Amino acid sequence: MAGVSLTGAIKRYGATQVIHGIDLEVRDGEFVVFVGPSGCGKSTLLRMIAGLEETSEGRIEIGDRDVTREDPAERGVAMVFQTYALYPHMTVEENMGFGLRMTGHDKAEIKRKVGAAATVLQLDPLLKRKPAALSGGQRQRVAIGRAVVREPDVFLFDEPLSNLDAELRVEMRVEIARLHKEFDATMIYVTHDQVEAMTLADKIVVLKDGRIEQVGAPLELYRDPDNRFVAGFIGSPSMNFLEAEAVAGGFRVPALDRVLEVPVRHPGEGTKVVIGLRPEHLETDRAASGMTVTLTEALGGVSYAYLETKGGERLVVEERGDTRSSDGDRVGLTFDAGRVMVFDAESGLRIR
Amino acid sequence: MFPTPVEKRPRATQLTYQTFLPLALILWLLPLIAVAIFSIKPGADFTNANYWGWPSSFEGFSNYGKVFFESQMPRYMLNSVLITVPTVIGAVALSAMTGFALGIYRFRANLWIFFMFVAGNFVPFQILMVPVRDLTLELGLYNTKRGLVLFHIAFQTGFCTLFMRNFIRQLPRELFEAARVEGIAEWRIFWYIVLPLMKPALAALSVLVFTFIWNDYFWAVVLTQGAESQPVTAGITSFNAQYRAAYHLMSAGSIVAALPPVAMFFLMQRHFIAGLTLGAVK
Repeated sequence: MAGVSLTGAIKRYGATQVIHGIDLEVRDGEFVVFVGPSGCGKSTLLRMIAGLEETSEGRIEIGDRDVTREDPAERGVAMVFQTYALYPHMTVEENMGFGLRMTGHDKAEIKRKVGAAATVLQLDPLLKRKPAALSGGQRQRVAIGRAVVREPDVFLFDEPLSNLDAELRVEMRVEIARLHKEFDATMIYVTHDQVEAMTLADKIVVLKDGRIEQVGAPLELYRDPDNRFVAGFIGSPSMNFLEAEAVAGGFRVPALDRVLEVPVRHPGEGTKVVIGLRPEHLETDRAASGMTVTLTEALGGVSYAYLETKGGERLVVEERGDTRSSDGDRVGLTFDAGRVMVFDAESGLRIR
Repeated sequence: MFPTPVEKRPRATQLTYQTFLPLALILWLLPLIAVAIFSIKPGADFTNANYWGWPSSFEGFSNYGKVFFESQMPRYMLNSVLITVPTVIGAVALSAMTGFALGIYRFRANLWIFFMFVAGNFVPFQILMVPVRDLTLELGLYNTKRGLVLFHIAFQTGFCTLFMRNFIRQLPRELFEAARVEGIAEWRIFWYIVLPLMKPALAALSVLVFTFIWNDYFWAVVLTQGAESQPVTAGITSFNAQYRAAYHLMSAGSIVAALPPVAMFFLMQRHFIAGLTLGAVK
């Protein structure tokens, strides 16, 4: 059992710097999710922790031990890959026991450990099969089992569910959460799927262009994002953003044709800002008619109505209950101004 | 579908195809057919200019019997085996290792070293004939099977490395990374993961190299002489005595000499189909 700590970790490929000095503390037993759009450096960062990518500058510690220059094998980590990376010529049992066999553990011990892991992951009936004869979800379970038998200090997951179909993804997500409870091990998980991040994480690290945008518990990031990027990235569907300008007594929003009084620090008249409204905090108002419903998506419990203002700005509104909009409706918008978030238009930083 | 299958083309096209294909085939195989026919004719048919006609007498058994029991052919065949098999093993083993190194490891001179292996293939070996012969003489390897094996391995490894490196490159990288994270030593990764996955490539390359070396005539003539070291391709000319060319025996000998590579090809054909990496990644 061990925590992981990164201090000023930098990664360069030749002259190109892709990770710009990451400082991060992962506590023992914590489930941390790296999330961000593709190319944000989340996989690279994970591979640096694993030792598969060299760290150009900075320090990586696992359990108070400096491992920055150590080989992957010496770091006490186990990694699960997006492509599973099972050895195709070995059976499930051999796949799971291979690492132990190669590092000189005795047969009885390997058999016991593989057996135990197989039971936890419900792989018992599949032990004699080869990876080619398994489904995607089963393969991923084997890959996780291969990590489990080594009893590592830290589990690393590199987008482990991306190759699975939607249904299996939900199932495996629950499975991974269950495993985390059961082993109580430190886990670092990379994904671009914010639902996975929200549901699994104790702590989410939002990355963008090789920098940390914000670190926090899932609901913390949802309720109190530091900047426009995090606000837009966390939450589904994404937050609506509208241009606005600070005026005396509030923010004038041309798209809504009104001045909002938001309980935040006033940045000074004339400042360009962006206001953020979550779809779930908006309601359509049938009495008014400033906007047109261009499209509705009914998911059952909720519907999403896509609105267009006169000026062409688009907004998404979440609707519940019995009366819902349909395409072509003319509606207005009501919301609690206390829920509105304000961001500086230039820097994207939150104005609180 | 492109191209349109012959069965779906107009009747005229089909007929043309059906006539010309066998014709082309026969034309293509004519030299082989001639050799096969000669191998069962008496020697006199050659002197009587009965090249394409019916054999004047059927001498198959006696011709092949003479090849096997009254000539040096078995000796030459054995030489061929003793030269070809070690070369195949040597070249394939070496190139599996060089291919692994060049295919997996990222180091600065990687591409240049690889280019050198490839570029070596473009040097015409006629140019190397004299220096290589001198070299073998100085090393005391002239007219030995060992010398021939060593030079064959040296010359084949370039091509084999190209083949192996490209194959290994296609294996999913994550396999090696997974193994590395698991703490498996590099040579064990090579032995337990790479080699089993390379089986189709190993089989294909072995057959190719086997055929190359078995059929080699050039280096056999340049580097060896006499029944103690010459392989069958060079030894077959010993049927041409000083005053008389025994073409019927040479034909029979040629057929015998050609059989091993052909047999090898058909036996190993199955392994060419590389399906082993399936299931490693989705």
